Amino acid sequence: MSTSREKLLETMTNVLGDREEDTPSAKTWKALEKADLTLVSVPEESGGSGGTLEDAATVLHLAGRHAASVPLAETALLAGWALSECGLPVPNGPLTGAPARPGGSLDLHREGRIWVLSGRLRRVPWARMATRLVVIESSEEGRLVALVDPRRCEISPGENLAGEPRDDVVFDGAPAEEVALADAGVDEEALLLRGALARSVAMTGALERILELSVLYAREREQFGRPIGRFQAIQQQLALLAGEVAAAKAAASAAVEATAYCEQVAEAAFEISAAKVRIGEAAGTAAAIAHQVHGAIGFTERHTLRHFTLRLWSWRDEFGTESEWASRLGDIVARRDAEALWPTITSPHPRRSS
Amino acid sequence: MYFGVESAEPLKGVSLPPARLPEGAEDLRAAVRAFLSEEHAVGAFEPRCDGWFNGYSPEFSRKLGERGWLGMTWPERYGGQERSSLERFVVLEELLATGAPVASHWIADRQSGPSILRFGTEEQKRRFLPAIACGECFFSIGMSEPESGSDLASVQTSAERTDGGWLVNGTKIWTGGAHLSHFFIVLCRTSPQSEGDRHTGLSQFIVDLSVPRITVEPIRLVTGEHVFNEVVLDGVFVPDELVLGEIGAGWEQVTSELAHERSGSERFLSTFPLLVELVRVLGEDPDERARIAVGTLVSRLWTLREMSLSVAVALETGAAPEVEAALVKELGNRFEREVAEAARLLVPSEPSFEASGPFEARLAEATSHAPAFTLRGGTSEILRGIVARGLGVR
Repeated sequence: MSTSREKLLETMTNVLGDREEDTPSAKTWKALEKADLTLVSVPEESGGSGGTLEDAATVLHLAGRHAASVPLAETALLAGWALSECGLPVPNGPLTGAPARPGGSLDLHREGRIWVLSGRLRRVPWARMATRLVVIESSEEGRLVALVDPRRCEISPGENLAGEPRDDVVFDGAPAEEVALADAGVDEEALLLRGALARSVAMTGALERILELSVLYAREREQFGRPIGRFQAIQQQLALLAGEVAAAKAAASAAVEATAYCEQVAEAAFEISAAKVRIGEAAGTAAAIAHQVHGAIGFTERHTLRHFTLRLWSWRDEFGTESEWASRLGDIVARRDAEALWPTITSPHPRRSS
Repeated sequence: MYFGVESAEPLKGVSLPPARLPEGAEDLRAAVRAFLSEEHAVGAFEPRCDGWFNGYSPEFSRKLGERGWLGMTWPERYGGQERSSLERFVVLEELLATGAPVASHWIADRQSGPSILRFGTEEQKRRFLPAIACGECFFSIGMSEPESGSDLASVQTSAERTDGGWLVNGTKIWTGGAHLSHFFIVLCRTSPQSEGDRHTGLSQFIVDLSVPRITVEPIRLVTGEHVFNEVVLDGVFVPDELVLGEIGAGWEQVTSELAHERSGSERFLSTFPLLVELVRVLGEDPDERARIAVGTLVSRLWTLREMSLSVAVALETGAAPEVEAALVKELGNRFEREVAEAARLLVPSEPSFEASGPFEARLAEATSHAPAFTLRGGTSEILRGIVARGLGVR
């Protein structure tokens, strides 16, 4: 690991270590912004703080590990990425961007000299907190990236299980403040893939933490005169939990590495899909085991476990469930020859050798 | 791992950083693929599930030996190629994914050879390693006994000192390929079990399976296949020069290689040939249910391979990631079984060894061998126990 990555880790850990899991989002955001951690991987010339996708993954992983409620993925990996790719400056403050998901649709058209949005997007993460919202949409003049002020939209607040904002946004003639032609590789599909990757990475942080909490609990909690971790029944469950965490971490690392290597995110679609499926599976299995090990207390507000399991149950469905991504993978496999299955797994796309 | 969160103490054993194969690995892969495709084309083998377990073909093993793909990592003076273990990883995963018949040499190449290289005398290395690397000398494992399965330290086979060597008495069981192999490495007790330390007093011997006073009786699998044997040693003389390593150090010698045995591709690719047939049968436009099922399996497989590769890299750097290796095997063995279960529910057919189609045959192999996956080389329960110890709850 590079020295700068170590520094990043240390700063992030310091910022997040000082807060409680239920610290208000705005306060956590300010601290992260002050430490220059909200735009990691967005190039400096666009107003970001530079760094690689791996650096951004480090930040997201730690945010997941600390259950930090902040739009880091949306700001850096979605909005910040789309804007900087198309040569638009990245504004200050929390940002968001979301692809149209089932139930949503968007229209971008010209009205005189300005571009105007109409339609609705469902469950946009952090819309009410964002200073600006980024959309990618086709128009009569090609695919465009547009920057919108959410205050010009109608926002119906919603939230995921963990209480993170997932708002419906209605664009009723909302004007775009900035518009640019989207570069090759910057489209809704890319936004969805990057969102899936971001949630996958964040889930590994939460998974790591619930394993840690479960192990600690099993060592401390005594029943029948000994710590419950002394019982083989519990030990076997914890081992299964550790297996899910290890698998999730391996999948996330590999998907991040592949995406960082590819010029366009769509080239890493196989790895991102595979990671989202495997990590989504891990989230479900691991959360169930963690709760079983914790007993009733883990299922209540008196225990911190909920911050992580509620997020896992939400994040695994955001930006596509296991079924959606598994179906895509199945499709990639089916469209190739059966003999190509193994080569697809060893090298989903042409790679440089290290 | 790349996130750089070095595991807090209770997280020991869940660190699997992403791994890259060395330069040249893809050329090697291409060479292995070309060889396999040629061999398959001329009918030298039919791809099958579990080919490393009972795909016996001494001829095929010799061909691999000729190409330098056995004992690849060993020094040249012992017949090796001095290739890296990651290059070996590539060759092995190609052989397994193709369902090639690699059982004859599998144990010698994976386990017996490396043990001899590590613990053997110069004379033993010169005698056995070049022969193994040529595909001319095959080994079996002599660990389990009728009364010693998971609890390996309880072995009762004994060796008593005699003139110029040892007299071995006892019974070894589940000895895969003993009827075809030339030697097996026998773990036995050379001094009585001492109070409180069950792991001392064990030793390893290289035993020639063709010498007198050894009987090899088949124990057929549920399918009637002959893989396992019961090997009775009735006062077998083993000369001093065939003691492997130190007398009394058998336990350390046996356990030191476990990470190598548990994290390899054979722990998740045993039923891959069935997955290939499944994809073939489903065709270009499977329904949504089939796409999801296949996609889910592919996602698990891709992840397992990343994990296995990561352990391989760690081993290459001299680490002994015992817990990670146990996790790969535990998850991998379940995956092998999941392939068989998913396949049978997606295609209306019945498993059959004499059926016309390869799908039914692969399904028969995968289904009937499934119990072995989670038993051999450390049961899933034992593996989870190892993980639990790594987590600090045991």
